[in-house]
Amino acid sequence: MAIVSFPSSILKVTNLAKSFGGVKAINDVSFIVREGTVTGLIGPNGAGKSSVVNAISGFTRVDRGVVELAGHDITNQAPHRIAARGLIRSFQIARELQKLTVLENMMVAPFQQLGESPWRALISRRAVMREEREHLAAAVDWLQMFNLFPLRDEYAGNLSGGQKKLLELARALMAKPKVVLLDEPMAGVNPTLAKTLQGYISRLRDQGVTFLLIEHNLSVVEAICDHVVVLAEGAVLAEGQMNELRETEEVISAYLGG
Amino acid sequence: MSSLVFYLLTVAIFFCIYCIYGWGLNLQFGLTGILDFTYITFVAIGAYFAGVAALQPGNGGIGGQYILGWHLPFPIPPIIGGIAAAVLAILVGYVGLKRLRSDYLAIVTVSVGQIVWTLIGNITPLFNGWDGLAGVPQPFNSVFQLDFNHYQWVFLVICVLFAALGFLIIERLTHSPFGRVLRAIREDEDVAAALGKNVFRYKMMAFVIGSIYAGVGGALTIAYIGAFNPSGFTTMETFIIWAAMLVGGSGNNRGMILGAFLVPVLFNEGTRFLPSPPGNPLLAESIRGMAIGLLLIFAARYRPQGILPERKTVFRLDGLPQGGEAGGDRLVPQ
Repeated sequence: MAIVSFPSSILKVTNLAKSFGGVKAINDVSFIVREGTVTGLIGPNGAGKSSVVNAISGFTRVDRGVVELAGHDITNQAPHRIAARGLIRSFQIARELQKLTVLENMMVAPFQQLGESPWRALISRRAVMREEREHLAAAVDWLQMFNLFPLRDEYAGNLSGGQKKLLELARALMAKPKVVLLDEPMAGVNPTLAKTLQGYISRLRDQGVTFLLIEHNLSVVEAICDHVVVLAEGAVLAEGQMNELRETEEVISAYLGG
Repeated sequence: MSSLVFYLLTVAIFFCIYCIYGWGLNLQFGLTGILDFTYITFVAIGAYFAGVAALQPGNGGIGGQYILGWHLPFPIPPIIGGIAAAVLAILVGYVGLKRLRSDYLAIVTVSVGQIVWTLIGNITPLFNGWDGLAGVPQPFNSVFQLDFNHYQWVFLVICVLFAALGFLIIERLTHSPFGRVLRAIREDEDVAAALGKNVFRYKMMAFVIGSIYAGVGGALTIAYIGAFNPSGFTTMETFIIWAAMLVGGSGNNRGMILGAFLVPVLFNEGTRFLPSPPGNPLLAESIRGMAIGLLLIFAARYRPQGILPERKTVFRLDGLPQGGEAGGDRLVPQ
């Protein structure tokens, strides 16, 4: 008998619940994200996808349930603590640091930089400069890979919508995350750039980066997601591979239509 | 010494002090986006504590009611002034920076200013109430024994040294990874938090360091004038520092120097030379406020980023690997 080995889960969401007033935005949601995979989170508008991402990343406090990252309970921790544990998110509408250059956007990302302490910035100038050079080399590398290098000294606010999405992804990767949460990375991106972005995500996955992404473009989901979780009315409706889900009655009636 | 030289020296001293004030506010607002509408309160706390640290013990009588009275030599009083302002900033920061967004924080700072002003004025045993402190000794003049006119030069040197040190420190902080995080927070707190930065901690640090500048500037003010009372820290004073920063260029410490020259020196002092028409002794005073207001309106309309805006950071990349990677197979940098 062939032995099939599944990658271990790196992100585990168990019985998550959150209400806003009388509205149950997240209603007992559970799923796992396996290491080195791309997991899609899909569903109709108002299904609770962004609420789940906000809850996982600490931007919304949950009423109930547990979120574990690499075995550590990160439920209701502050966003910066969750990020420091290795979970980096993007936002539905690209939120670049407008009045920082593209390269500076990248340079903000690494954790616990020596020169982020005002004291060290004043007295350990040489060590800070050395570390800056190391981060700079990595940032340049990422920008070249994402074809953003020629724009390195441009204010991030001046980039096009698609370039901002690329920058958000590059910036997230600069932080060396365990898991990247992408909230609609293809929204507002032209088809050619979307194809490029899709290629990047697939190749990064192949090199061990784990993604959880919200996406409405189902052909993208089908092309790059190893596993898909369908949400509807704040609850998990179904999960599996996209081609299987296309045949599932509940998914068709709640989301796919036809 | 001619009265003009004396006057110009006074203006030069205040120019240095306003630069110090301005760099602190620039760190708070220009870099971090913290709306501190009671910056002058931190100046006042620095001035009062430096004053009572330098004064002889109070006699408890008229004009002699104040705390401490440690009679400490310079430069310990400015250090105490800076620490006192930092302690107040920590207290205000815990209330205002933890959960409040910048506009609500602005309201908190205005309230704090009013509370501190009223308390200091009404609780006489603190800093001699509405009459304030007087007779604060001039730094090093017990050694030099100079008359007030000639002592101006000594104090100008002290102020230039403080301003030079202040500029060196603020420039290093501004152009360090610390300054970069502050600007990231100014641009988008959520993004900074999502990148692992403890937004509250950094805002608190910016608020405290900025307040230390205010406190030290206040300490120099009381050391120069020798006196300080609640009329010295009104809303108008905060307005002048804000105007200097916005006109000069927020986020740019050199712009702040220009702003300190244009607003407190040129507009505030220059208008003193306007003739006062008979029967209207307060006209020049009113015109001064209006002139600064108009300057601010013109700056906001035609040069919102200030005359010397924040400079773009351009990294030197010589020696780093460049080119040839885009489109390659390797996506995770080694």
